[in-house]
Amino acid sequence: MKLVTAVVKPFKLDEVKVALTKIGVSGMTVTQARGFGRQGGHIEIYRGREYEFDFIDKIRVEVLCTDEQLDGVIDAVVASARTGSVGDGKVWVTEVDKVVRVRTNERGPDAI
Amino acid sequence: MSLATMIPYPSWLNPADNTWQLVAATLVGLMSLPGIAVLYGGLVRKKWIVNTMMMVFTGFSLTLVVWMLWGYNMAFGTLSHFGPTGSFWSGFIGHFTPLSTAGAEQGQAVSGANTLIPFHFPTATMAYFQFVFAAITPLLFLGGLVGRLKFKAWLLIVPLWITLIYTVNAALLWGGGFFAQKGAVDYSGGYVIHLAAGVASFVGAAIVGPRRWQDRENAFPSNLMMVAIGAGILWLGWNGFNGGDPFYAGADAASAVLNTNVATAVGVLTWVVLDMTLSRQKKPTFLGAINGMICGLVAITPSAGWVNGVGAMLVGLIASTVVWIAWNYVSQLGFFKKVDDALGVVYTHGFAGLTGGLLVGLLADPKMTEYGVSGAHYKGAGGFSVGGWFFTHSFHQLWEQFLAAVWIIAFTSIGTAVIFYIVKAVVGLREDDEVLALGDVAIHEEEAFPEPIFGEPILTPSHTHPDNV
Repeated sequence: MKLVTAVVKPFKLDEVKVALTKIGVSGMTVTQARGFGRQGGHIEIYRGREYEFDFIDKIRVEVLCTDEQLDGVIDAVVASARTGSVGDGKVWVTEVDKVVRVRTNERGPDAI
Repeated sequence: MSLATMIPYPSWLNPADNTWQLVAATLVGLMSLPGIAVLYGGLVRKKWIVNTMMMVFTGFSLTLVVWMLWGYNMAFGTLSHFGPTGSFWSGFIGHFTPLSTAGAEQGQAVSGANTLIPFHFPTATMAYFQFVFAAITPLLFLGGLVGRLKFKAWLLIVPLWITLIYTVNAALLWGGGFFAQKGAVDYSGGYVIHLAAGVASFVGAAIVGPRRWQDRENAFPSNLMMVAIGAGILWLGWNGFNGGDPFYAGADAASAVLNTNVATAVGVLTWVVLDMTLSRQKKPTFLGAINGMICGLVAITPSAGWVNGVGAMLVGLIASTVVWIAWNYVSQLGFFKKVDDALGVVYTHGFAGLTGGLLVGLLADPKMTEYGVSGAHYKGAGGFSVGGWFFTHSFHQLWEQFLAAVWIIAFTSIGTAVIFYIVKAVVGLREDDEVLALGDVAIHEEEAFPEPIFGEPILTPSHTHPDNV
């Protein structure tokens, strides 16, 4: 089992969700996040003074999937989150030892 | 129980005048509560919202108590004659007496110097109307001091400043005092309120010292929607501010309201256009628009009913431009850069009030008449008007306006400095740096958006909690 974590632009979230549902992913966790990468921060102006905002708003998407689903999930996220400009985000994958569904106590791939 | 004889409308009382005056006073009161409270609360950092709003509410309360006990009679009561009639010393302050008797509240309002036609409403109306003007003045200069001023210091500064500074300026220009007799005019407080507040803010900020550098560099406004609410209440509340100052619910009040609004609209648009064309980023900003709005409101205040419609638009245009230049360039020079006037009160109230006060001497239209005021400009039959250079080709009025401005700046800055040094010696002016790092929680043990825990408490209900019996 794998945990796919993606950091994407906030306005791309809906497309990512639709793409993942299409390939049969049945759940995801979304968090508001802030960070910086190659895109860098931005400037905001309050009362004539410039303030640098180093961390910009992103959405972190977390999806649990089986090993067989993995390539499909990665492709779906990458295709749906891309705009082609800097700051499109990243996707990474971590190995998951155990998954438990709290309601039924199911274990392993059945819990996904 | 005894029944006193009272007729609802004695012959001197005009219900329309009394109603408008009380409504106008309430509108001006709303500019402070909640207007200034949420405007400043929205402009300061999140950690300073509660402290800022606390100072607004306590400042308002302190001024009213001072006003009842001695402030009103010092500013608007019979003048004390410390020198020969006509001299400065016979016309700079009233008497240190309370406004406490039934007759004092319910009797007919008269002008302190007895130079005006008696008003058609009771003294209580006049005292309350003048109170809300006094009350907003320290709340305005609070804008320069937020984010480091000690709460205890504020509780002393307000009564001292109202007693020693506000009453004197008001008596001199409005209470029939020296500058009023000389011919200087201030329709609703461009000098007595806004120029004085700008000066006090700047001098006070210099003495209290700057905010922590961390706070100064991260001075993000906490909530622009709250700024919108506060600013909107200020704008429409100003209908009472300038529309109430003729003291009659007549054509003069109506023209003052219309002029105030058009000057303000031009002030907003001027600042936005300047931001879009001449600022470094060329971006229209909401907080810039609000600055322009305040410039228009403040600058039309000294002349609201004495300029015509074109004059009012020029006031908005000129004041917004002057303050935009001051805000962006003068603020980078010498001691303007050094002194940390947190919300820029010296610009939006000081520079704007001064510009507006001087513009009276240029733009006042002698055909714009205010009813019932006498003094140096008394034209007989209850009419009063002011002639600016544009109409009279005389600089006389401008000169009178200039002298009054010099007085306000000099007296207010020296007096404010004395008060701040006294308060510094008594309770200190600044919170400690550890307190400043935390803000509201450290000072009040409250915060603007409290949410102490996630979810529900898991233990049994506490029997020591006051809500559990």
